[in-house]
Amino acid sequence: MDILPLQAGDWAFVGTNWWILMQGLYVTVLLTVGSLLLGFLAGFPGGAIEVYGRGPLRSVVRGVGVLLRGTPIVVLIVLFFFGVPWPDIGAVPLGGLLPLPAFEINGQALLASTAALGLRSAAYQSQVFRGAIRSIDEGQLEAARSVGLSKLEAVRHVVVPQALRRSIPGFQNEFTIVLKDTSIAFAVGLAELLTRGFELFTQPAGQTAVVEIILTVSAIYFVLTFLTNRTLDRVENRFAIPTGESS
Amino acid sequence: MARLLAFDDVHQAFGDEDVLRGISVGMDRTDVEVVIGPSGSGKSTLLRCVNRLTEFDAGDIRLDGESVTAMDVDALRRRVGMVFQGFNLFAHRTARGNVTLGLTEVRDIPRGEARRIADENLARVGLSAQADSYPAELSGGQKQRVGIARALAMEPELLLFDEPTSALDPELIGEVLEVMRGLAEEGMTMLVVSHEMGFARSVADTVTFLDDGVVAERGPPEQLFEHPERDRTREFLGELDT
Repeated sequence: MDILPLQAGDWAFVGTNWWILMQGLYVTVLLTVGSLLLGFLAGFPGGAIEVYGRGPLRSVVRGVGVLLRGTPIVVLIVLFFFGVPWPDIGAVPLGGLLPLPAFEINGQALLASTAALGLRSAAYQSQVFRGAIRSIDEGQLEAARSVGLSKLEAVRHVVVPQALRRSIPGFQNEFTIVLKDTSIAFAVGLAELLTRGFELFTQPAGQTAVVEIILTVSAIYFVLTFLTNRTLDRVENRFAIPTGESS
Repeated sequence: MARLLAFDDVHQAFGDEDVLRGISVGMDRTDVEVVIGPSGSGKSTLLRCVNRLTEFDAGDIRLDGESVTAMDVDALRRRVGMVFQGFNLFAHRTARGNVTLGLTEVRDIPRGEARRIADENLARVGLSAQADSYPAELSGGQKQRVGIARALAMEPELLLFDEPTSALDPELIGEVLEVMRGLAEEGMTMLVVSHEMGFARSVADTVTFLDDGVVAERGPPEQLFEHPERDRTREFLGELDT
């Protein structure tokens, strides 16, 4: 196969169609935020149940986690899309609020992708939180119990605030992974960033611009990852517990 | 009138190991009792059975006549304060925040009032200037004094001290013992597990020598230290080189 050289004309093609990639970016951000949120809401309690729970509930949480972590994400997305009877919400209109032409995406593909990415993320986030909870010295919980706090209150006021802080580095990794894995929604035709890039270079005028389009798409993923990681670094520093050592 | 605290044939085993083998002792309000004994003799377990951080197997412990096992465990702990060997301060909260948590969450005291009570108790242990410091910014002695303030603020009827100075550098032990001495003078009822024989001698009303899960000897400090009746007690005190 011949390689495709970078050409000024192809960069110009990317330039004139930038808004198509921006629409894809919009969907990518939506999918990332939705999945991470779902992952947090299910993963944090999941991690706590793995540490403090007992009996069948803990077994179920553990089992589901193992299953989700042990399945390729593309399999999960396809399975959730074709195997789950999602309500037919039709096409979801987007873009009205942005200086972008309004567009529509497949609602069921959005639901299935968010659920698959979100639950898979929950399975990983639960492990981040589990480790963070375990790292909090048991004695603090005991001290909280000794002044009369119930176990739930002690966990909430003593363990959770510290465990959340310690989860930030692990959560940064998870964010990076989820952001990039949203591109796998390509498999069910959701119009996220990579899918929109694909649409561009399959047009007759874009056929020589494959490399330029993919480089642009990767640059967008990179910038997004970089900025968010810097932001989370700041959050971590902002909420760091003073150690008394000069930093 | 019922004794403030009474152990009645308390037994506790961990697996095959009998840690407490029939403890029956009691103390009254304002008493200061120091429990001494070799490591593994069951001293800490004895203490932890009182506020049920360890649930004992058999026998009974009564607080003011009421069996602790019959009480709501959180209500029991509200009445019995505890100071830990390893301080166990809440790392994410300031000294003041360590003291207010129990006040706001257990005693349902509004925040402003809780702050005032916390500051009062921090002043009591000489830490007014450190109220806004985090545990990692404090010395060991200061940390332990925050631990004492945290327990005091709950206005307990009884304070348990589990080797409060064992984790401290020698030069920091004095400040903690000084605070404890002050509490004893104010009439606080205290059950103290400690290796500080000087403290036991000068502050305790009663010293209990625990050995291998039983009370080997018990009496006023001058008697136990100067004229121990048992060979085992003499031997232990000799090892401590007092």
